[in-house]
Amino acid sequence: MARWRSFFRGLLERGQVEREMSQEMEFHLQARAEDLIRRGMTLPEALRQARIEFGGVERYKEEGRESRGLRLVDEVRADLRYAWRQLAKAPSFTLLAVAILAIGIGANTAVFSTVNAVMLAVLPVHDPGRLRHLEWSAKKDDFRKSYNGGGWVNSAGEHIRWSVSYPVFQYLRTHTTVFSELSTFGNSSQMNVTIQGHAELRQGLMVSGDFFRMLGTAAYRGRILSVEDAQPGVSPVAVLSYGFWEHRLGAGAEALGQTILVNGAPASIVGVLPKGWCGIDPGACPDLFLPLANMDAMRNPESWYYEVMGRLKPGVAEERARAETEALIDRAIATYRAAGSYEAPRIGLEPAAKGLNGLRSQLTDPLTVMSWAVGAILLIACANIAGLLGARSAARQREIGTRLALGAGRGRLIRQLLVESLLLAALGTLAGIALAYATGDSIVRLFLGDRTLGISVAMNLRVLGVSAGLCFMTAILFGLLPALQATRLDTAAAMKGSGPAAERSRLVTAKGFIALQVAITLMLVLGSAVFLRTLINLYAEPLGFRPENLLTFQLNPTLNGYKDQRLLNFHEDVVRRLGAIPGVRSASMSRWGILSGSATRDSVNLPGQKPVPVMTHYVAPRFFETVGFSLLAGRDVEWSDREKSEPVLVINQALAQQLFGSESPLGRVVEVGGKCTIVGVAANTKFDSLRRAAPPTVYVPFRQEREHSMTYVLRSAMEPKALVPAVRRVVESVDPNVPPYEVRTQTERIGEDVRKDRVFALLFTAFGSMALILASLGIYGTLAYQVARRTPEIGVRVALGASRGAVAAMMMREEAAPVAVGLLVGIGGALEAGKFVESMMFGLKPTDPVTVVGAAGALLLSAVAAGWLPARRAASITPMQALRYD
Amino acid sequence: MTKRGPLPGTLDLLILKAVSLGPQHGYGVLLRVEQITGQALDIEQGALYPALYRLEHEGAIESEWGTSDNNRKAKFYRLTALGRRRLKQETAGWESYTAAMAAALRVRPEEV
Repeated sequence: MARWRSFFRGLLERGQVEREMSQEMEFHLQARAEDLIRRGMTLPEALRQARIEFGGVERYKEEGRESRGLRLVDEVRADLRYAWRQLAKAPSFTLLAVAILAIGIGANTAVFSTVNAVMLAVLPVHDPGRLRHLEWSAKKDDFRKSYNGGGWVNSAGEHIRWSVSYPVFQYLRTHTTVFSELSTFGNSSQMNVTIQGHAELRQGLMVSGDFFRMLGTAAYRGRILSVEDAQPGVSPVAVLSYGFWEHRLGAGAEALGQTILVNGAPASIVGVLPKGWCGIDPGACPDLFLPLANMDAMRNPESWYYEVMGRLKPGVAEERARAETEALIDRAIATYRAAGSYEAPRIGLEPAAKGLNGLRSQLTDPLTVMSWAVGAILLIACANIAGLLGARSAARQREIGTRLALGAGRGRLIRQLLVESLLLAALGTLAGIALAYATGDSIVRLFLGDRTLGISVAMNLRVLGVSAGLCFMTAILFGLLPALQATRLDTAAAMKGSGPAAERSRLVTAKGFIALQVAITLMLVLGSAVFLRTLINLYAEPLGFRPENLLTFQLNPTLNGYKDQRLLNFHEDVVRRLGAIPGVRSASMSRWGILSGSATRDSVNLPGQKPVPVMTHYVAPRFFETVGFSLLAGRDVEWSDREKSEPVLVINQALAQQLFGSESPLGRVVEVGGKCTIVGVAANTKFDSLRRAAPPTVYVPFRQEREHSMTYVLRSAMEPKALVPAVRRVVESVDPNVPPYEVRTQTERIGEDVRKDRVFALLFTAFGSMALILASLGIYGTLAYQVARRTPEIGVRVALGASRGAVAAMMMREEAAPVAVGLLVGIGGALEAGKFVESMMFGLKPTDPVTVVGAAGALLLSAVAAGWLPARRAASITPMQALRYD
Repeated sequence: MTKRGPLPGTLDLLILKAVSLGPQHGYGVLLRVEQITGQALDIEQGALYPALYRLEHEGAIESEWGTSDNNRKAKFYRLTALGRRRLKQETAGWESYTAAMAAALRVRPEEV
């Protein structure tokens, strides 16, 4: 403690400490002299004697500094000053190295800050470590009739699900002895919210009354939801997120108590949540929270719709909690199913400190691939700078040799060179952090688009700590080897200007760095080629329709209570009115949008044949005409195909082929749910995703199926977005509380479908070109240095009759071996890495020979180009130049 | 008797002892050490200062600027609580060491 205080005082008040030391010793000398005078000496004699008795003032001052622990500081400071001068002396080298490092470290910092926010961040709630999220799996889950909620397939191939029914949850909450709090919530769902007469679709979450209490969250304004809010008969209330309150209600205090319409039903705002508080799902930030109350589904024990999260009591063992919960769920099911007639689910309690894992599982693969890629970039950057430093320290050979000869310790010199590397790394890191800060959350945005997330990507201590760690690591990586080599000198040889042994080992290292750079660069270039070709293949896929000039949006009137006939009439009404808007060529709709990633799966039965799995689309009349699908035979769906009329179908060619071969399917009857007559055949087209070939598909008139939300599609005579205001007016005229959402052009939708592929193509192209530039620079630098070193030798060769071509070829041969080795290693590595990204590819394999050869060729070409300039310089050396050299 | 330098490690102990007798400036510490050792020890006077700074760095003594007898500004050193404990420990250690040494050196052949 005292030591630190004294050390920092020495560090911070250095001038003061030095002054006091001088004063003190001066006082000593004077006092001694006075004593000596008293014993009879003259003044000059006394002063001289006092100095003799004291000894060397400067020496003791130095020892005094050492006593205070300041000597190391002094030395490092001197090293830093020296390093700074060395870097300032070669500004172009310094700038280049700092820029290379800034890119390497910046990319890594940006990716890590994303990883930190997505993968590592803990929920901003009370004691998150004890939160558990309930999950279950069962071979046969007939104890539930309907399921609504998420799930995932674990590595063992089991389906893990999260939702249970409300009665099961209640039973668990009543009987549990291991949870101190237990609450439930529905899926984050879309809600039609009307505020001050304007309706829009927002994200809402239905939660049990004790949800906020469990998380220990207090309201920012007003109050949180309470258990009373969920009682039957209580007037409905809502709590808003800070962001929604700010953007939609202007952050006004008068918002509290205001009544809004949620899905057409009134609810009064009672509170606002703290800024940045988004609940338990990092992947979504609900705009409003409503008490889970009075839903029909809550009374049905077989409707497994609600997820459960609880807070473990302190000191309860994990396994005991799990076993008790499993037993309780079994008993809860036994309240509505006869014992032995079902198989009880196995229960797991997942730690939920980081919230639900949807976002994490979605981004794990992309972020892993990106982490590897930016790590590779940093490695190339290090190899590159190590090469540059090696060449530089060769140029400083004489200086280092002199210092060694004068008795400088090797360790001291290595420290000096490392301080120089560290300074370089620190400058690069600072610039890199600035770069990463500027990118903000753009990496997440690249992958996920504009949806509101429950996380914020930001610089924090952990991120900065990792950057600092990278700084040290890179400094050691690129600085240590050159420093060791530079100081392992035969002093005499160094003074003469060349040391064959040191020279040879330096050359081997330089070639090793080239091979390393080439190998990693090849992997990145191959990656960019693979992802670019994937994207090109995706865009080249025949769509079977014309995506230009199409506007799409969705309407979900079921949220507002529309159903059956009223619902169908609503949709029909809107479509007919939309068709009348000036500028609209035709208007129609389908259950899911084209290339939205969603589809309804079903199967078609034909007597005497195996059921054929199909995709089912519910469409309105003129759908084919509007989107541009061609109808090959028969007729379109018509308005007269209604609830009570004869059930009909249009099928696609793929299904026709499979069911009937070359026979005409028109007029044939198949079973899809009920018996339907085939009235038309449409061409094969993509529907749910670009990646899948057109599957057997049936198109059903939407009025013959009671359906939910619909995706509207308009073929426009003009810029499709120009239609949006008119569309909103039309929908409002039918019902102002049903807002259009996901308003996009079809081209935008396709862009969304290939978003991940675009991002990978973009990022890897950027990474690959960066690596290519760095590797070329590295080859150029190493070879140029070789040419400079060997100028006298080349001069002799030319004098002895070597042709210019032979000299150039000799220099080019220098780089041939490391480049070849690098290419081979790189291809091997890329094939290995390819296995991990194969699922992200489309239309090619990782071993695709054209791509591999192309990438290797591109790299070879740049290597030749990078070597060409130094080789040409070597070829132009004349014996006279060589003589004058050095 | 010839003057000799202190055994390694004893200078710190002597300084602590000198300062424990009352706050002193550097020169005063020197005079007091000479006085209490009966002028038997000889050190180069400057060597006192690195030792003083080390003790201060370690928190055994603390310093303050004050005025000397002849009205000049001087830096006075004072023992801290830590220093007092250390003086006690090192004195005890020193005494047991010298006792052992003395006993060892008194041994005659017949006592072995």
